[in-house]
Amino acid sequence: MKQNYWMHDMKKIKSVQTKRDMVLSIALFIVVGALFLLFRLTAFNSDATQAYVYYGDLSNPIVTIDFAYNNGEGRIIKNYDQEVPTEYGAYPIIDEETSTITLLGDYEIDGVRQIVVIEYNFAKKSVQIIQEQSPNNICSREGESTGWPLICLPNRIRVEFDTNEEDFTI
Amino acid sequence: MNIRKMTLLANLLAIAIVLNIIESAFPIIPVPGAKLGFANIVTLVVLYIYSFKDSSILTILRVLLVALLSGKLLGPVFYMSIAGAVTATLVMGIMKKTNFFGMIGVSVIGSIFHCIGQIVAGIFVIGSTAIIWYLPIMLFLSIPSGALTGIIAKRFVATWQTWHNEIS
Repeated sequence: MKQNYWMHDMKKIKSVQTKRDMVLSIALFIVVGALFLLFRLTAFNSDATQAYVYYGDLSNPIVTIDFAYNNGEGRIIKNYDQEVPTEYGAYPIIDEETSTITLLGDYEIDGVRQIVVIEYNFAKKSVQIIQEQSPNNICSREGESTGWPLICLPNRIRVEFDTNEEDFTI
Repeated sequence: MNIRKMTLLANLLAIAIVLNIIESAFPIIPVPGAKLGFANIVTLVVLYIYSFKDSSILTILRVLLVALLSGKLLGPVFYMSIAGAVTATLVMGIMKKTNFFGMIGVSVIGSIFHCIGQIVAGIFVIGSTAIIWYLPIMLFLSIPSGALTGIIAKRFVATWQTWHNEIS
């Protein structure tokens, strides 16, 4: 008799919990969905003025892509050389004819580090990773970006955008 | 630890490893290291049929062994997955203890904290907060995937309980 009561209580608790689960899941889905939509609609809408190419966890960008320079003419600034073992040669390779920047990634195939090729477009103020080696190719599959950061995790290379107007010092 | 429990845990760990490797091969979510989280089914099942301790050990072993098998041990992706898995297991353990939500709710909360743990580790791994912009899409996708994981785990536990009652 006593056990029957207990079983009944357990069932009651379970059904209350299932109801709470459903309420929680649906409520969270709606709230997070709304936030996500809001984020997608509002974030990265303004034109980028600069894009920075980073390697590893260094906080100084190796290459700065300056979209705003000379009213949209644009320019590429190499801030410093990427530190790579001497047998790989010198990086970054900046090719203004094909509008590409080539860096050496961390991802290795047969013990050889692979290159990452970044293409920039001054007219569209966009950056795209056109060649890289990694298990899932997440960063090259992102396609062209005008504000969304491109992160190649296995290669430890990332591109970040800046929308700030140029600072004027008086 | 009796033999039945030991063999069951070993089998569940094997299942978790296989699920983890299979889902790594299909990157549906366009975020580094992010997956649907089917390996979390096993964490959740062990949490409910055994204990928090067993499920945390199993989860840590799973992440370590998958990293070892895929050759990603101590890489950036590894730190992110272990941080996500540990945070999720901890939060799920606490949520189970409060008894407020059922398995599906616990799973949804766990998968949200999995994303948060992963992103926080990611900030340290890549040395930039840029990865935080992936959080909205990850959270958005984590809720249906967490609910699905919870439903599967719940069915598994129900089946296990009938089987457990029959043999004991």
